[in-house]
Amino acid sequence: MEQRTITGAQSTAKDDRMEPRPFALLAELTYRCPLHCPYCSNPLQLAKYRNELDTSTWQRVLTEASALGVVQVHFSGGEPLVRPDVVELVATARAVDLYSNLSTGATTADPQILANLREAGLDALQISLLDAREAENDFFAGAPSFKQKQSAVRAARQLGFPITLNVVLHRQNLSRLQEIIDLAVTWQVDRLELAHVQYTGWAFQNRSALLPSRAQVESAEQIVANARERTGDHLQILHVLPDYFQEYPKTCLNGWGRTFLTVAPDGVVLPCQTAREIPQLCFPNVQDGSLETIWFHDPVFQRFRGTDWMPEPCRSCDRREIDYGGCRCQAFLLAGDPAVTDPVCRLSPHHHLVEHELQQAERASPDFAYRVMSGGEGLGQQ
Amino acid sequence: MKEFQMSLQPVLARGVRYRWDEFRQQHQLLFPEGLLVLNTTGAAIVRLCHNRSIEQIRNKLAQSFSDADLGPDIHEFLERLVERGLIQWCADPEPRLQD
Repeated sequence: MEQRTITGAQSTAKDDRMEPRPFALLAELTYRCPLHCPYCSNPLQLAKYRNELDTSTWQRVLTEASALGVVQVHFSGGEPLVRPDVVELVATARAVDLYSNLSTGATTADPQILANLREAGLDALQISLLDAREAENDFFAGAPSFKQKQSAVRAARQLGFPITLNVVLHRQNLSRLQEIIDLAVTWQVDRLELAHVQYTGWAFQNRSALLPSRAQVESAEQIVANARERTGDHLQILHVLPDYFQEYPKTCLNGWGRTFLTVAPDGVVLPCQTAREIPQLCFPNVQDGSLETIWFHDPVFQRFRGTDWMPEPCRSCDRREIDYGGCRCQAFLLAGDPAVTDPVCRLSPHHHLVEHELQQAERASPDFAYRVMSGGEGLGQQ
Repeated sequence: MKEFQMSLQPVLARGVRYRWDEFRQQHQLLFPEGLLVLNTTGAAIVRLCHNRSIEQIRNKLAQSFSDADLGPDIHEFLERLVERGLIQWCADPEPRLQD
């Protein structure tokens, strides 16, 4: 979540209450989803986590989150709308003074459920889109969904929802970036989030099919800059650049266990939604304790919190409190060790691994595998 | 500052909410996926953004802040929020609320 201070520094009263406290909770209500996006951030072993928390446990989680200092909840999944209690949970979020966002793939977002969510107090709606063109969108999603997304945007607009259109960018849709922006203007959404793929989870598996060339990334920056000038204040465009192409790593979630936490469908509490793929770590469950106890005392939340855990080159780096060593999942996926500097950093001893991938990306890309819940793999065709 | 600007009415954009955070002793502006911490003056302006022109906001603020003309500051502050999509201008020739 974005955080800024405006009109000068604010002197925040400090007392003996514990710090840091989280601002945002990602509530992954379910891993079930009608779509099969090849860059999904859900775990690869989806079928291992079929158990889902019941309504009253989620309500307890939301209440505890608010008491812990969380101000925003983001309902996500999988597809959160497949949960029959999603409206009830939104109402609970409202009752405990949480600002609520909900992300949907929109295939099940009929006008009635959107109206119910609005009435229950949902503050903002995010609708995913995979491409500007119907055939390509449906191909990447592995299911017909473009028309449903279009209808959902229309219905949500009539209900007065602020709408963010979320488009994940990769080498196979970047050539249509201008069309994507034009579509967001035509659909009259409030915000367009253009986020390049983060290479964890399914996206890591499909990396060679998704990683763009440097020329594509540079062209995207230009297109977005031009679009911002044209659309002005009417459409907010967020452009999240791919970290593989940066000199320094991203400030992943503002640092481990600093401002953000995730509760997975089965109740596992994570510093980030992809962290459960790190086999060296063991995560607590909301069924074993309160969020407050977990956040402040569970060893896994302490593990990479702050700067004490850092190895070189982070430990003596003057950016250590800017990027907090980058992404722990990426350190594990690329270097096999979650406790090393994010290899994206040009100072990392593992940086050559990223360089190698970037060189590969200058060549042709193979097919990708769809996100599936069973063990099987569907290969996308070019 | 031009007169027509002083008659503009700022309103919080869709999905934007002001909130006082008791834990952190902070004024916050919440919006989709984001949070902005406001200082005392900023919060006072934002909380007056409802059925009031900039001029009316200025007059109202003058009661609680120093006697310097806050008009240009208010306008600049609001413009920054407009750029971020958090405030919208709604030009209303007939103010509906008398201060």
